[in-house]
Amino acid sequence: MGLSLFQSSQWAASFLIEVLILALALRRRVFRQLPFFTAYLGLLVTSEVARWLAFEFTGINSTISFGTYWTTQGILLLARAAVVYELCQVSLSLYAGIWRLCRPFLIALAVILVAGAEVSTGFSVHQLAATILTAERGLELTVVGILILGLAFCRYYRIGIQRHVAWIALGLGFYSAVQVANNSFLQDTVLANFPIWEMLRLVSFNIATVFWLVAVWKPLPALRPAPVLLARGEYDRLAPQMTVRLRELNTRLLEMWK
Amino acid sequence: MTIVITTLASLAILLALFWLLFGRPAAEPASSIDALEIEKLLPLHCRHFAQIVQILGEEDHQFISKRAPRHVERQWRAERRRILRQYLDGLGQDFGQLGRLARLIAALSPEVRKTQEWEWMWLGVQFRLLYRMVGLRIAFGSFAPNELARLAEMVAGVAGELKTRMSLIAAPLPSRLGMNVSD
Repeated sequence: MGLSLFQSSQWAASFLIEVLILALALRRRVFRQLPFFTAYLGLLVTSEVARWLAFEFTGINSTISFGTYWTTQGILLLARAAVVYELCQVSLSLYAGIWRLCRPFLIALAVILVAGAEVSTGFSVHQLAATILTAERGLELTVVGILILGLAFCRYYRIGIQRHVAWIALGLGFYSAVQVANNSFLQDTVLANFPIWEMLRLVSFNIATVFWLVAVWKPLPALRPAPVLLARGEYDRLAPQMTVRLRELNTRLLEMWK
Repeated sequence: MTIVITTLASLAILLALFWLLFGRPAAEPASSIDALEIEKLLPLHCRHFAQIVQILGEEDHQFISKRAPRHVERQWRAERRRILRQYLDGLGQDFGQLGRLARLIAALSPEVRKTQEWEWMWLGVQFRLLYRMVGLRIAFGSFAPNELARLAEMVAGVAGELKTRMSLIAAPLPSRLGMNVSD
């Protein structure tokens, strides 16, 4: 059994949007600033073709289709994680000290969340599909966790996020956040019978692609000039003084409270 | 149960994402310290503490409670609380500006220390919490102006020191700061 007319139409519409985004990204030379994102768009188009071929020639319920779908899904998920790291790097790396501070946190969070996903998958006693959904949920959580931590650093240090980066991040985060909830619905024996969850997966991805389309619609802004940094050692000279004063200020406020 | 938790987590993630990406835009850090208008970042409100002390003097309190009718005294107390509240808000803004300056120094430093940054963040959290609690005390009328004076002195002390230090850094520009990022 192949795809229904509705499924084929929806797939064709999604595919066309993805091709359009890829074409625009190449035209705008996005690869110069965001090579991983451009590669991800390329992978997206390629995996759509692979899935369509599998569904069309072996049937949507065949083992080959199942394998093709989840293999491409896994590759795309890893690629999304790489894109998220790239977005954090693009936004923060101009500020060398902050980037050096942030990077270990991002890596540590990724390790913790992946380990968590691994553990919850290990404990899963469900069938193969449910186990994959558990793993996918954990990995999607990793993607969105890294993104939020990176953006929190930007926010705390008041580092502006460029418009196109913000839209790409929104698309990635939105899709991952929806999948975290969606995968839980799909694992429920009662709720999984409703087709709405699979539809939600497709629609949320289509919404994400619209965000990416917005990101590449206009020419990319010029690269931000590197800030002039303080001389080495200035931070060490300034920091202790400020810390002592701020500590005193807090102690005094605490005394007032008591 | 898992479904409820993951749905709530997803909603929280989405809200956080929207806020982080499109929330009230934060001004970008200056591209160099010499481009900074340091004056704008230094505390302002604590400088007016002398006037505040004058307004909130204990003599006035004694005078009002002895001479003025009850309703006038109530109005006077309410007005006093309002001024204190406004002043505390000002001090909160001052602390915020100092915090911003601290983060700016970190953003423009080629190397920062994790423990240091963590401590500044923690101090900021502590200040904000205490600030809220002191605000509540003022609202309930159990707060003396001389306590606020100590707070103001502290903020002013930090401000003065920072101003001196920042002018020391900015003085020999650009030769001293001509360092680019290479990461």
